[in-house]
Amino acid sequence: MAPADVRLRVGVDIVGVKRLEAVVGNDLARQEAVFTPTELEYCRGKRRAFEHLAARFAAKEAVLKAFGTGVSQRMRWTDVEVVNDRRGRPLVRLDGAVARFAERHGLRSIDVSLSHTNDLALAHVLTVWAGAEQECAST
Amino acid sequence: MADVDAAVKEAVVEALALDDDEVTPDSTLMDDLGAESIDLLDILFRIEKSTGVKIEASDLGDYIQGGIPDDEFSDSNEVITAKGAEQLAKVMPQVNASDIEGSLKAEEVITLFTVGNLTEMVKARADGAG
Repeated sequence: MAPADVRLRVGVDIVGVKRLEAVVGNDLARQEAVFTPTELEYCRGKRRAFEHLAARFAAKEAVLKAFGTGVSQRMRWTDVEVVNDRRGRPLVRLDGAVARFAERHGLRSIDVSLSHTNDLALAHVLTVWAGAEQECAST
Repeated sequence: MADVDAAVKEAVVEALALDDDEVTPDSTLMDDLGAESIDLLDILFRIEKSTGVKIEASDLGDYIQGGIPDDEFSDSNEVITAKGAEQLAKVMPQVNASDIEGSLKAEEVITLFTVGNLTEMVKARADGAG
């Protein structure tokens, strides 16, 4: 159970690898509209680059779902970046409008887990926010 | 430039694999037509290719919000203010400001965005006004 002074919010998204490849493809301008240079460099070094890119796209959407904003705010796709630590563990970095939203609403911590196959890429995000829960569903 | 109405409709039809008659100016992209984020990206890239008008995800929010700062567009609970509602009624004429003021959450605005709204946005950008 979470401490009483924080709220937990999760976000999950699943992306078709072939769909992402069809939409973004090898068009540099399109790739750069969606992914940061760090993300592109990391994924291009992988044998199945589009699986990794699809997982990162899913992570961006999962973060926005956890935030409860979707694409409705004035965000850029590159405002949510997935980087990897030295052991390969994915980490989320925020920038621009998404970072401002996080600061305004008291984001304390964010974690992400990615998984992908030939066909599908999935991201699961957990966020921790300052402030106690205001409502709780019961069964 | 290609006819914007036709270009937007074609982009929506092809990105969402719909039939021509399923897409009308009044169709909301997300609720009626089931567009997800990646579909929206696909639609915007297709529009750029056919019309030359480049629209990024952040432009949608900028267009809808019309330069009103976040904390004036919605309150601390992310509910649309009177000023925000007035702006929404300008760029989304199907919306009645008095119906949404104080009740619509900022995150829900995009669910009301229609094919017709997107068409007008592309036209405004093409004219350099958006």
